Amino acid sequence: MKVLRIIAVAVLVVTGVAALGAHYLAPAGYEHQFRESPNAAPSAQHLLGTDDLGRDRFARLLYGARVSLLLAPLAAGISTLLAALVGGMAGYFGGWIERSSLVFVDLFLSIPWLFLLISVRAVLPLNISPQASVVVTFMLLGFLGWAASARVVCAGTRELMKSEHIWLARAMGFSGLKLVRLHLMPNLRGTLLAQFWISVPVFVITEANLGVLGLGVSEPLPSLGSLLRELQNVFTLRPEPWKFVPLVVLIVVVSCFQILLNRSEVRA
Amino acid sequence: MLGSLGLKLVRLAAIMLMAGLIGATLIRIAPGFTADEQQLNSSLSAKSLQAIRQARLSDSDVPRYYLHYLGALLRGDLGVSESLNQPVRDLLRERLPVTLRSLAVALALAWLLGLSLAMAACLSSSRAFTFAGDTLSGTFISIPAAVLALVFVLLRWPPVLAAALLIFPKIYRYCYNLLQQSYDSPHILTARAKGAGPWRVLAWHVAPIAMPQLLALVGISISIAIGVLLPVEAVCDVPGIGQLAWQAAEARDLPLLVNLTLVVTFLTVCATNFSDLVRRSFTRGAA
Repeated sequence: MKVLRIIAVAVLVVTGVAALGAHYLAPAGYEHQFRESPNAAPSAQHLLGTDDLGRDRFARLLYGARVSLLLAPLAAGISTLLAALVGGMAGYFGGWIERSSLVFVDLFLSIPWLFLLISVRAVLPLNISPQASVVVTFMLLGFLGWAASARVVCAGTRELMKSEHIWLARAMGFSGLKLVRLHLMPNLRGTLLAQFWISVPVFVITEANLGVLGLGVSEPLPSLGSLLRELQNVFTLRPEPWKFVPLVVLIVVVSCFQILLNRSEVRA
Repeated sequence: MLGSLGLKLVRLAAIMLMAGLIGATLIRIAPGFTADEQQLNSSLSAKSLQAIRQARLSDSDVPRYYLHYLGALLRGDLGVSESLNQPVRDLLRERLPVTLRSLAVALALAWLLGLSLAMAACLSSSRAFTFAGDTLSGTFISIPAAVLALVFVLLRWPPVLAAALLIFPKIYRYCYNLLQQSYDSPHILTARAKGAGPWRVLAWHVAPIAMPQLLALVGISISIAIGVLLPVEAVCDVPGIGQLAWQAAEARDLPLLVNLTLVVTFLTVCATNFSDLVRRSFTRGAA
C-alpha cells in the first residue's frame, strides 16, 4: 500500500509539473491551428495527433490538465472555507444556531448539486468568454459543494467544544476569536485538510461531467473535461486509441487522489 | 411520535420551499436568463418580440414569480413548460415512472454488488480480495458518469447498468469501512476466540452493529443515484426526469426547472427521512 501511495504522489507530481510547464513542453499553444493537418494521426511533431480544427492534442492535454488541476483545488478551497464557516459556527454556538444551520446544510444536501449546476451553467450566455466560463464553472462547484463537509466540520467542532482543553482555555478567559484562532482552528486543521483533499477529485470529475455535456469550460480553452467531448465522435465513428489519452489521464489523476485519501476519511 | 412526525413534515415543507426558491434564484441571477433565442428569429414581428421580452421580464422578478407559482401549486397547477409547450404535470406523469424504475433497478444492482464485495472482502480477510474490490471501485469512481454512459450507448448495454456501476463504488467503500469497524470491536474478537464461525459472526455480531448506519446509507445512496441518473439519462436518451432536466436546462425553461428541483428535492428528503425512521426503529428495537 505504501508503494502505491508513493507511485500516486509521483504521478501527481509529474502531471502537475507537466501541466505547469505546458508553455515549455507543448509544441504550440492550445489554440494554435495547424491548418494543413487537421485530424492528423500521432507523429513526431504531434504526439497525440491533431483535432478537427488542426490543434495539437498533446498541447491541449497539457493546458487542459493545468486548468483542471489548478482550479479544482481552488473550488475545493472555496467549499472548504464555506464548510468551515457554516459548520464551525454551528458547532461553536450550538443551540438554535446549530439547528438552523443544519437545516440549511440539509437543504443543500437534498438538492442534487449536479442538477443545479447544469441548470445554472446552461443559463449562462452562449458567447461567454472562455476565461469567464472557467471561473464561473469552478466557482459554482465551490459554492454548491460545501454542505457534506460542513456537517463533518460541525461534528468536529462540537466534539472539540466539549473537550477538556477547551474548557480549560475558557476557564482561563479565552473566548471569541482568540479561542477560535488559538484552540479550535489548529485542532480542526486535519479535518479541514481532509475535506479539502476529498473535494479535489470530486470537482475534477464533476467538471469532466459538465465538459462531456458541453457545459464545462468554453472553447478554445481546454480542460480535462472539455477534452472528453471529442469522445462522442470517437464512439460513433472509428476507434482511434490516442483520443482516449485525456480520459486515461483523468482516470489516473483521480485514482491517484483516491489512493492518497485514507479509507477512514471516506466514511458515511 | 405524532409530534416528531409533524416536525419532520414541517421540516420537509421548509426544505422544499427553500429548494425551489434557491433553484429559481440561481437560474434567475445567471447573466443570460433574460435573453431568449427566439429574439433572434427574424420572422417574428416587433409585437411578438416585445411579448417575448415582457414574458422574460415578468419571470425575472423571482419573489413574485415564486409566490405566483406557489399559489398555483396549491391549486394543483404546476404550470406549462415553455420549451415543450406541455403541462408540467403531464410531463412529470410521463417521465417520473421511468426514472423511478431506473432508480430502483440501479440501486438494487449497486447494493447487491457493493455489499456482496464488501462482505466477501471482510469475510475472506484476503488482501488480494480487498485490493480487487478497491481497484474496481476506484476505477468506476474515477470515470465521469457521462463518459461511462457514452460507452454503454456504444456497446448498446442497458443504461441502468452504467448507473449501477457508478453508484456501487460509494456503497462498497462505505459498507467495507462499516463492516471493518464492526469486525474490530472487542466483542467480535471474543466471539471469534470462542469459535464462532465467520457467517455466525457476521449475522449475529457484525450485522446488528452495522445495520443502523447501513440503513442511513440507503437514504444517502438514493441521493447519489439521482445525481448519477441525470447525466446517464441525458447521454443515453432515456426519457426520464434526468433527460427532462437536461432539456429544460438547455432551453432555459424556468417553470420546468423549478418543478423538477422540487420533485428531486422531495424524493431525496423523503428517502433520507424514511431511512432515518427505519434506522431509529431498528435501533429502538435492538435496545
